[in-house]
Amino acid sequence: MTTLITKTITKICLPLVILFSISLLLAGHNNPGGGFIGGVMFASVIALTYVAFGLYHIKSFFNPDWGNWFAFGLLLASLTAFAAIAFSHNFFRSAVEFVHLPFFGEIELVSAGLFDIGVYFVVIGGLLSIFKNVGDDE
Amino acid sequence: MDSFTAITIAVFLPFVLAGILPAVEKLLKEKVGWYASAVAFLSLLLIAQVAPEIIHGETIQGTIEWLPSMGINLSFYADGLSVMFGFIVSGIGVIIMSYSNGYMSKKEDLPRYYQQLLFFMGSMLGMVFSANTIQLFIFWELTSITSFMLIGYWRNRPMSVYGATKSMLITASGGLFMLAGFLVLNAVTGTFDIPTILHNESIRDALQNHNLFIYALILILIGAASKSAQGPFYIWLPNAMEAPTPVSAFLHSATMVKAGIYLVARIHPMFSGTEAWFILVSGVGIFTMLLAGFLAFRQTDIKGILAYSTISQLAYLMTMYGYTTHHEPGIGVAAATFHLLNHATFKACLFLVAGIVAHETATRDITKMGGLRKEMPITFIVAAIGALSMAGVPPLNGFLSKEMFYEASVEMGHLLGGPYTILIPVLAVLGGVFTFAYSIKLIDGIFLGKRPSKGLPVHIHDPSMVMLAPAIFLAGLIILFGLVPSIPVHNFIEPTVSGILLEEAHLHVKLWHGFTTPLMMTIATFILGILIYTQYGRIAEWQNRFNAMFPWISVNYYYDGAVNNAKSVTSQFSNRMQPGPIKTYVLALLLLTLAMFAIPLIMLATTLVPQNLNFDIPLYEGLIFLFMIVGALGAALLPRYIPAIISLSGLGYLVALLFIYLQAPDLALTQVLVETLSTIIFLLAIVKIPQKFKEHIPTTTLARDLVISVAVSAMIFIMLINATQGIIPPFESLSYYFIENSLSLAGGHNIVNVIIVDFRGYDTLGEISVVCLAALGVYNLIHSRGEDE
Repeated sequence: MTTLITKTITKICLPLVILFSISLLLAGHNNPGGGFIGGVMFASVIALTYVAFGLYHIKSFFNPDWGNWFAFGLLLASLTAFAAIAFSHNFFRSAVEFVHLPFFGEIELVSAGLFDIGVYFVVIGGLLSIFKNVGDDE
Repeated sequence: MDSFTAITIAVFLPFVLAGILPAVEKLLKEKVGWYASAVAFLSLLLIAQVAPEIIHGETIQGTIEWLPSMGINLSFYADGLSVMFGFIVSGIGVIIMSYSNGYMSKKEDLPRYYQQLLFFMGSMLGMVFSANTIQLFIFWELTSITSFMLIGYWRNRPMSVYGATKSMLITASGGLFMLAGFLVLNAVTGTFDIPTILHNESIRDALQNHNLFIYALILILIGAASKSAQGPFYIWLPNAMEAPTPVSAFLHSATMVKAGIYLVARIHPMFSGTEAWFILVSGVGIFTMLLAGFLAFRQTDIKGILAYSTISQLAYLMTMYGYTTHHEPGIGVAAATFHLLNHATFKACLFLVAGIVAHETATRDITKMGGLRKEMPITFIVAAIGALSMAGVPPLNGFLSKEMFYEASVEMGHLLGGPYTILIPVLAVLGGVFTFAYSIKLIDGIFLGKRPSKGLPVHIHDPSMVMLAPAIFLAGLIILFGLVPSIPVHNFIEPTVSGILLEEAHLHVKLWHGFTTPLMMTIATFILGILIYTQYGRIAEWQNRFNAMFPWISVNYYYDGAVNNAKSVTSQFSNRMQPGPIKTYVLALLLLTLAMFAIPLIMLATTLVPQNLNFDIPLYEGLIFLFMIVGALGAALLPRYIPAIISLSGLGYLVALLFIYLQAPDLALTQVLVETLSTIIFLLAIVKIPQKFKEHIPTTTLARDLVISVAVSAMIFIMLINATQGIIPPFESLSYYFIENSLSLAGGHNIVNVIIVDFRGYDTLGEISVVCLAALGVYNLIHSRGEDE
């Protein structure tokens, strides 16, 4: 697996794919994309890095606990769901707000977007934690 | 802050502040216990804020809408009963968590310990303030779960695990019976709302005359009995003593085990006044009271004695709440409520003393102790106050409520008439005699007599004030309630009794009220108790001999048999159902699919020949399909793993291409990504196994597999072609609703995404929870397997 070609391509891909996955996440509400797709994309490229350079090599300098990622995601998603109650609405009621920012122009802020970010982290954390655990296993 | 808000915050505060407890621990280190007791104190203050209204005879009720369209709401109700429980839970909580600062060693996993204590406290408060039965059930089971975790706090001790499992199995399944009882209650009354039933006489009358009355009653009482360790369910409580002693004091004497009593008191207005109530509640109560009091004799573990005494004391409460007739539904309610409060004080006090003694002497075996009064004078005095109160000695609070218990027993016997006039008071006195005997044993065995020559550390002394002060405080309450009973009676007992009997109650409790029958009974109790105590050792010996001769006369015998067999039966079952090879599972899956398709297809057999098939497909669509067939064949036929996998993922990308052609960009994107990720995972796994299909497949197996896969694909083909040809009636498309409302309701142009995060957000929340659970499951599977080998 760890040929020079794979390694080189992975190195070039990694930042691009991560950026693209974030753009997919943010674009999701109005264009193709969303938390799930973005998350799977992020997870794929990290998985590819693991495969190309070897799990142990990567772990020696980059070893996040993916468990924390999905825990954070689930917390964020649940909090967005519960937040509606704090504002005296029904559980899961979402809110939309349009904001004008200099330079960016009009930006749409959706509470469901936060929920989508939660999904993004759950997918990344869940997939990569499974991937790493299975890969680590002797 | 209005009262309803105060209660809501009091319930949820422990949960929220327990959530940030690990962060606080980083700051406070081993002093984190004080943070936990401060949280409990905040809850106590919030409840205290509500108390004046309750003492004036008002009740508080409120609702936060949760899923209003389904009638599911978060609602709280406070009357005298729930506020008294709220005080006991949060007050004892403050005491226990302060005490734990001295008891728990700094090496222990303190955040886990205090977090679970706070979770427990929140669940318990939630339960007593719940205004609807479903919510009550949820908090009820939460207390079972936290109790399970706390009993099993020392995870590496087999007896802790055994005790935790036992309590979980018994109390949680008892809770399920209670849920069934609530559903029956709902079927009869048409509501889950407790105050609605309490305050509506016609509903209560209809309930008592309904055929299902007895079933609802029995089911709910099973829940109450299992939680409060009554009847045959008592067996979990002695094993629960494996928990750290502060936990036993908090959960397994003062609060959680009283949840069953709370439930009985809560449903008292609905079910009492009937014969069934008296027979079931008082009957079980009297039986348990005598049995547990008697069985306490053979215990040598001081916490074991306290466990049996708790069971017996809870049975007193059951018995008293069960005293009822048609005209006077609540003969023992006042006595029971007062005793409930008193028991919380003296039993928590005794458990704290037991913890101190075990902490200082490093043993809990009462046979190894003795003569500690000189070395631990303050502990001795505190213990004596607690035990004498339990024994019913004046002027302590236990004496007052014991007298009331005797008085109620005499009245109940008198109202029943016949042999019961004598029988019920006699049984009550007998229960008191046992209590007296083991209470004296506690003081005598630990503090009086001679100090044994060996087995105890050389230097034993009173502990620090951190551990002593909570016990002294409780002892102070015991004396205060005994000397000035009007304080608890006016503030707690009267509002509670009026809450249960639904009429204003005025009680007059005094230390001295002349030479009455109850006083005679008390004197008889003391004389008989001293007599029995002289034979204490002999009775215990006889019990041990009896137990050795007839091991099968014991509930534990059947529990262990059932649970141990369950383990072997389930492991046989799972060995058969999950043999290992993936091939077996795929085969089962395909055969099931076949059956599911075959039945509707056979039923529709007459219309199965599709008409007017359209063979006019564009060239590139045809090409995609052609390549897909090639990819599938390659995956099946190529002789090495890596080419086969690449062929399979090629097939996946072609499907994605098809999605693009069919104008479903989200779907195509997902397909590409999932395909990529699974290919990477495949490749990762493949490098670890040999690069050839080594296994030789026999021709018969091959033929069988081929037949099955051809049959499945043929079925799906026929199904799809029929579905698109309109022979099977089409469903009305759901998509129009989302197309119309996506922008206006959720502010998004991408319908797929809006459905995921908004319209069907609830589903998504469930799905991401499943992803998290799957990840945790994989982690546990891989790591636990490593430990076994």
